[in-house]
Amino acid sequence: MASSSLSTTERRGIPGAQFVEDVETYLTQSGLDVNSALSFLQERLQQYKLVEMKFLAQQRDLQAKIPDIEKCLDVVATLQAKKGTAEALVADFEVSQGIYSRACIEAADSVCLWLGANVMLEYSCEEATALLQKNFNNAKASLEVLVADLQFLRDQVTITQEAQNASKR
Amino acid sequence: MQQGGGSEAEVTWEDQQNINKFGRLNNRFHELDDEVKIAKETNENLEDASNELILTDEEVVRFQIGEVFAHVPKEEVETRIEQMKEASSKNLEKLEEEKDSVLAQMSELKKILYGKFGDSINLEED
Repeated sequence: MASSSLSTTERRGIPGAQFVEDVETYLTQSGLDVNSALSFLQERLQQYKLVEMKFLAQQRDLQAKIPDIEKCLDVVATLQAKKGTAEALVADFEVSQGIYSRACIEAADSVCLWLGANVMLEYSCEEATALLQKNFNNAKASLEVLVADLQFLRDQVTITQEAQNASKR
Repeated sequence: MQQGGGSEAEVTWEDQQNINKFGRLNNRFHELDDEVKIAKETNENLEDASNELILTDEEVVRFQIGEVFAHVPKEEVETRIEQMKEASSKNLEKLEEEKDSVLAQMSELKKILYGKFGDSINLEED
């Protein structure tokens, strides 16, 4: 007699979906009748959807942050390169939307990094590069974990939907 | 992609894993599609930029670094754009390759799953 394999692994607080191979065994095991089992599965699907929304939002945030960090790294690298040539860097920057002003940046030993929460700290170019690189790596790593979580989540959703279909039959 | 309610075929754990894998590949395929579009656009923009550069007489070009436009001599800008174009084309190639591999895996899985479930499963795009 076919049995349901219990692969209720958990991942970062997300309950794993139980794979249902044989509906009868599943129902006797959980002690539910068909309707309660169906509503339980439906509830699980809602929970999964909520967590998915949260993860997708986090993913969007990270995907926006990563290009920003790359731009900062670019700027610091350019400043460092210019430092060697003893030339001032002339740049046009935006003062307000559509209005630009010229800035003359002398050889820079240090840069100021905006850390958030109204805090800005001065760093030497090397320290700044190191810090930005670290942030960049962390962001990339978090994004990878998030993507893996999303995949796990979608798998659980698929398994739960299968269980629903099996029970409806 | 849906799993229909066919009453003959039982879904084994292996089948479930295949279905899951297909779902993941499908998602990845859509993401890759978008990424390829963006990479192609970037490539085009860089082409246009380098063409404009050839036509301009100015010695100093305002090159965007981060949020500011730095005044950079024309040759340096040319070099930079060449580098960016190379990086961008390599990226595009990599994405296209991944897309092809994903499509190939998806067709394999389709064969297996349609073989077992026939009409009770729908693996096409809606």
